[in-house]
Amino acid sequence: MNRTEMAFGERSGGGGFGGGKSGGGGRGGDKGGRDDRGGREDRGGDMGGGRGFGRRKVCRYCADKNLKVDYKNAADLKYFITERGKIVPRRISGNCARHQREVATAIKRGRNVALLPYTVQAHQ
Amino acid sequence: MQTETQAAGGPPQFAPGTRLREYETLFLVKPDLAEDLVDKIVERMRGIVHRDGGKVIKVENWGKKKTAYEVKKGFRAIFIRFLYLGGVKAVAEFERNLRMTDDVLKYQSVKVADEVDASARAVEADVKLPGDPEMPERPGREEPVGYGDSFRERDREPLEDDSIPPEVE
Repeated sequence: MNRTEMAFGERSGGGGFGGGKSGGGGRGGDKGGRDDRGGREDRGGDMGGGRGFGRRKVCRYCADKNLKVDYKNAADLKYFITERGKIVPRRISGNCARHQREVATAIKRGRNVALLPYTVQAHQ
Repeated sequence: MQTETQAAGGPPQFAPGTRLREYETLFLVKPDLAEDLVDKIVERMRGIVHRDGGKVIKVENWGKKKTAYEVKKGFRAIFIRFLYLGGVKAVAEFERNLRMTDDVLKYQSVKVADEVDASARAVEADVKLPGDPEMPERPGREEPVGYGDSFRERDREPLEDDSIPPEVE
């Protein structure tokens, strides 16, 4: 937390450089983009206009030790795939590295035996 | 390692301390197959595991279920899960026989555990589940699950602090 805050302070000092680096994205300021993204991921919380840490996500499988990642349990794994069938990234799902890895393998196994989709068509 | 003595029909007896790996094979059978034919396949596979020095722990028949995508021109299949102890040979022979059976659509074997004491691991009762309710085959509208695809990585503007994780543990 502390480290990130410090980094943030530095960045707002030398914002010009960062803006140049991100290049031709026709969107507003660098800062605006960040706010946008924060809202979309519904992190909640607003700390001084920048990216907030309102809600720290906890790995579901770490929180509940009895919960095991199992490729046969399609209902649980559905939580970690998008409407399109993609695997939800860790930064969204909040899984720890180990469990994200297990979830990813489980999803792939589930796909192989037709318990989970490889892809879902946009319109059916 | 292969210290079993073949008992006719039933699982082989194991000397105490015989260590085998535990495997799990899930396979899909054609949905229109009669129940007694499914049972025939199950019994044949059970015999194969026992013949190759393995021990079937549990057989689960999940019944007719909807598949997540089209498998061999159909959207349903009978799911059967075998849990068994054995060596590499047992799995190879198991899968070879599944490949040869035309009514088997798909299969997947996963190692569950290493070094299981074959004499101590008790055989569990077979399970038969009803499967999904029978519904007319039509591409139903799936409820949206999970998250939207609104976080595409390529839409992200590169930040100069990308090396710093956004959430410090």
